[in-house]
Amino acid sequence: MSNLFEFNGAEGQGYSQPAPVLPESSIVLPDCLARKALPRWPRLSEPEMVRHYTWLSKRNFGIDTGFYPLGSCTMKHNPRVNEVIAQIPGIADIHPHQPEHHIQGLLAIFYEMQYMLEICSGMDQVTLQPVAGAQGEFTAVRCVQEYFRLRGETQRTKVIVPDSAHGTNPASAAMCGFEIVEIPSKADGRINLEALRAVADETTAVMMITNPNTLGLFEPDILEASAIVHGVGGQMYYDGANFNAILGITSPGLMGFDAVHFNLHKTFSQPHGGGGPGSGPIGVKSHLAEFLPGPLVAQRAPVGDESSTAIDNMWYNWYQPKNTIGKVQQWHGNAGAIIRCWAYYRRYGRGLKTMSEHAVLNANYLRHAIHKATKAAGVDSMVCDGAEAVVAKHEFTLSLAPALEMHGISAMDVAKGLLDKGYMAPTVYFPLVVPECMMVEPTETESKETLDEFATHFAEVLQVDAETLHAAPITTPVRRVDEVYAARNLCLRHPYDDE
Amino acid sequence: MLSAMGMSSMEELFADIPAEVRMTEALPLPPPQSEEEILADARRLLGTNVALGERVSFLGAGLYRNYVPAAVFQLVTRGEFLTAYTPYQPEVSQGMLQAMWEFQTLISELVGLPVANLSLYDGSTAAAEALTCCVRVHNRKATQKDTVYVSELTPPDRLSVMNNYCQGAEINIKFLRHHPDGTLDLDSVAEAAGSCGVYVEQPNPLGILDGGLSQIKSIIGETTALIVAVQPVSLGLVEAPGHFGADIVVGEGQPLGSPITGGGPIYGIFACSKAYLRLMPGRITGRSLDVDGKVAYCLTLSTREQHIRRHRATSNICTNETLIALMGAMHMSLLGPEGLRSLAVRNMTACLLAKQKLSQVEHISLPHSTSHHFNEFVIELPGSSEDCLAHLDALGIIGGFDLSAWYPERKNWLLATFTDQTNEKQIEMLVSHLAAWASSQEVNA
Repeated sequence: MSNLFEFNGAEGQGYSQPAPVLPESSIVLPDCLARKALPRWPRLSEPEMVRHYTWLSKRNFGIDTGFYPLGSCTMKHNPRVNEVIAQIPGIADIHPHQPEHHIQGLLAIFYEMQYMLEICSGMDQVTLQPVAGAQGEFTAVRCVQEYFRLRGETQRTKVIVPDSAHGTNPASAAMCGFEIVEIPSKADGRINLEALRAVADETTAVMMITNPNTLGLFEPDILEASAIVHGVGGQMYYDGANFNAILGITSPGLMGFDAVHFNLHKTFSQPHGGGGPGSGPIGVKSHLAEFLPGPLVAQRAPVGDESSTAIDNMWYNWYQPKNTIGKVQQWHGNAGAIIRCWAYYRRYGRGLKTMSEHAVLNANYLRHAIHKATKAAGVDSMVCDGAEAVVAKHEFTLSLAPALEMHGISAMDVAKGLLDKGYMAPTVYFPLVVPECMMVEPTETESKETLDEFATHFAEVLQVDAETLHAAPITTPVRRVDEVYAARNLCLRHPYDDE
Repeated sequence: MLSAMGMSSMEELFADIPAEVRMTEALPLPPPQSEEEILADARRLLGTNVALGERVSFLGAGLYRNYVPAAVFQLVTRGEFLTAYTPYQPEVSQGMLQAMWEFQTLISELVGLPVANLSLYDGSTAAAEALTCCVRVHNRKATQKDTVYVSELTPPDRLSVMNNYCQGAEINIKFLRHHPDGTLDLDSVAEAAGSCGVYVEQPNPLGILDGGLSQIKSIIGETTALIVAVQPVSLGLVEAPGHFGADIVVGEGQPLGSPITGGGPIYGIFACSKAYLRLMPGRITGRSLDVDGKVAYCLTLSTREQHIRRHRATSNICTNETLIALMGAMHMSLLGPEGLRSLAVRNMTACLLAKQKLSQVEHISLPHSTSHHFNEFVIELPGSSEDCLAHLDALGIIGGFDLSAWYPERKNWLLATFTDQTNEKQIEMLVSHLAAWASSQEVNA
């Protein structure tokens, strides 16, 4: 089938445009400014363009297509009313430089989101500006860096991360200029307090950790870890990628953290669009609030003319924190994503706890159902838990190491077999501490029937012989893609005939 | 489901969370709402905002009101695109992977460079990543180590992002000067020779198209990167920076395919020459083959990225703006080359007509009138832009951007923006109200 650049009809433009306000001949650019040759873009009519992208969409898998148990990514259903809301001109057609009296409704929603995230995380101040989780990490570590600079503690040059951490943690801290100290996890992926004690000292700036951890297990020693880091004068950073497990049950604030980022596209359902957008607000305790990127939104009683545009008799205004690090995105963050996440939060309100309860219930039920189904099929010896635990949180890990040893079937083979069953595969080979790891996260929006069916299909895949599984998938638009060929024979754009 | 697991209460699922860290009270938040109630509340709150389309607007300054063809919205909200994650399993992600490979080609052709990634967060983060990238590539041979030169006109909010991204690598940002007519002082560019990179914008933040940029590469040479930020629509008329020696092109992709949306989600463009490929930030799609020899696409060069390289990654970026880049690709595919040119002509002629008419108005002046402009230009007023904008606002006109927010000494500078959405009647309205306000200022003085 064709790519976009094979369309070159005489039709020309796919949509008609009005005439310019002056003839084109009125533009006279000197040679050093004028473009000599137009880009070699294709020429499509609207129906050709519509068919091309419709065809492409049919070769793509989303949550709407089927169950998407991609661990660590929290692929919950994206309610469609949120898309309708994001198209309201009062957000879609708003410029970030408009004056405050033009955007009181937007600021009211921003304020409500700051407040809700503060309440749920146990932090004192939230900024909505960072546009992705990794950028939230970077922003929070920058704030801590300025905090220590102002206190003259410039010897704090190190950031501690467990070896099971998401790759963004060390990458974000390194971008701030910190030296990374990686500590080993225990066999179950949990934090190794002895290893932490051995490295924590007066050079420690921050420890970055997620809880539940990347194996989906709650860290029972989290208060002790916080005490060790605070004991040497360091700060505790909470990676909010797994926040979906704990809303209304515990909070980073209660666990002793000083700063946290949220992945709104995970916990609050901003659709991830094949790689983004996301939204990565951060929250901090009061001692870090003066460093946050601004502007932030404050609320007060309206004064004078403000009454005419105030919302529910409240006026909202921007303000800059006293020692702000400045900006991490030029505008006000991903406002359109924040609006969608506001709509998602509103369906739960004070009942957000039930969201986390159902996410944890679904994960534990699916773990149970998979073990039950594999046992019934007589293939339970091929798979084991990634870590021993009575309960998991919102996600869990499986190890296919026995399958590999017994039959030469790898986690990747099982993943590709699941694609043939019509599922997105779980995350594979992360975290690295689990051999032949498969990380499964069903989220709260899946039904018991879906989970039962998946467990049955999972057991069926394990019954397939190794040779057949090595050849999977066979029902997908293409079969196994040669990633080594792609890297060795780089083709990063359409090769035109003359190239 | 609990009983199937041999449990009797939800509490058992949370038994591993110690009592010391448990929340003891319910969240102090409002009660849950139904879909209809949420929608009604959203309409009520967002309905109080002043959408640009309700007024006559001349506000741009980096984000530009445009028309996004209806087919773009209809297609981008298809669930297979909208609700997918990053394409970690290429066999079931061919649609998005191919669309992003096509996006890379469209951007590559637009800016005149062979490589493009599949978006960064916005124009400012793309610019900031370009600065750290050029230091990674050139620092070893640089005589001005860890140093980049940036146009002094760069808006403070964009510069602030650059500072945050550069401080960790201990990069010094120095500034390039400009002539009074708003064009770059090429003598100051000579001072940048031996540094790692030079960052300029075309059009610049005052809307000026500067022909002098085409000489920069011959001044700084091969060991210093030329980074040019663009308004992508302008490239239907204006020379692609890759054709005058730019090594990296960045920019706010928004005018192609995306509404302004309060400033996000939008997408940042990042393109470069092959010398920067292995040290550049962001995801890249490659064309490959499947086991049957069929053309297939997958993410490639991942060894630059955080999930493999961890703290040695070229950037921490993971989530990007793929869906918004897809909107850009859809818009570009509907435009075609001639459509792009028409769109650029509409933007540029709106700006030109406004410039012609405003140059006739008494008591105001256009300090850079000898230059060519795209989208916007500076109007020097007989009073403060702040007062002028308040006056126009009361008349239902969003008059532009108060440049004292960028350059505090320029209290009387207004940046007025004209796009493909600006018509002759609106320009006449602005001209007559500005003329009336300006003469009232003179009378009061």
